[in-house]
Amino acid sequence: MKDLYKGLIKENPVFCLYLGLCSTLALSTSINNALGMGICVTIVLILSNAIISLIRDITPDEIRIPVYIVVISTLVSVIELLIHAYVPSLFDALGAFLSLIVVNCIILGRAEAFAKKNKVIPSILDGLVMGLGYSFALLILSSVREFLSTACITLYNPFDITQVIFQIGFPSLSKYGISLFSSSTGAFLTFACFAAFFARINASKEDDK
Amino acid sequence: MKKYFRIVVFLAIISCLSGAILGFVNSITEPIINDNAIALEKKNLVLLFPDGEFKPIDYKDDEGIVLEVYKVNKKGYVFKTTCKGYNSSTPIVILIGMDTEGTIINVIPLEQQETNNIGSKCFEEENIKKLYVGKTIDQNADAISGATFTSNAMKMMIAKAQEAFRKVK
Repeated sequence: MKDLYKGLIKENPVFCLYLGLCSTLALSTSINNALGMGICVTIVLILSNAIISLIRDITPDEIRIPVYIVVISTLVSVIELLIHAYVPSLFDALGAFLSLIVVNCIILGRAEAFAKKNKVIPSILDGLVMGLGYSFALLILSSVREFLSTACITLYNPFDITQVIFQIGFPSLSKYGISLFSSSTGAFLTFACFAAFFARINASKEDDK
Repeated sequence: MKKYFRIVVFLAIISCLSGAILGFVNSITEPIINDNAIALEKKNLVLLFPDGEFKPIDYKDDEGIVLEVYKVNKKGYVFKTTCKGYNSSTPIVILIGMDTEGTIINVIPLEQQETNNIGSKCFEEENIKKLYVGKTIDQNADAISGATFTSNAMKMMIAKAQEAFRKVK
């Protein structure tokens, strides 16, 4: 529980550690994309942390980075093929960013900082917590951006893109949406506000102590 | 020396394992990805090759006449082509099926609004057999006199499909 709080708020990989920003800014345009990307990154994080922790004793130290990269890129390629086959709408939406998970700093960062020094179960938990923190960051960022640019938050069924699961908001006001927030400028602005907010929360917790 | 040997062997093993896993997953997902790509056109493609296995091929020609190219495993190729005929608001869209040598097996019209009894004669079954079926890769399609615009459009599409065949073979 304490780890979960750490991963979501105190050491959130996106808003506190500033890792994985490229994909965050590009894919937080809608909660469908955010959800899809968050799930993929979490799966890759858990599996890569587990595998790297398993082989940590037999990996020669000099080549550990190439080994990590081979492991991570194999995982990402497998996931990319599976998504291309079974959820083509998500594949079209994520596009190149699915391949770019390989160089997402969170994954290599956690492998180097945690998985290579700890046993398998703690590594899996660390992967899960960091992945949830990334997904949480993506989700709140995309909720704000989607709401401001289209006046409502819509979740589509990824397996059948025409089916709407839920829609919160004011669909009739969508012509008053601020389209700035669906572009990269809006992404940076929203991200900066959230980062400042998180810094404030963490600073006040420090003051309490 | 022994240290370097260990490094090389370890990296080689990991890379082979990675390749094996990727090959396995690819063999499972490739047919599904292919099916998704041809799903839209499938019901038309089976009119030409009832038992064919279709694979889409990337091909662009400069005038935008050849829209899609499909390779039929061991049997030939299908070209979806479009061109303006006599009717200036609706271009003709046809599927041309060729065997592995480039000889035309059949032509199926998908969309056409050519003049009734004049241009539309190009699309009647006996005329298709006379004008287009059996033409080899080096022969030009024939025309119907009195239906020049439509015939020229058909000849152009077949010529472009033959050109595409030479490039993708």
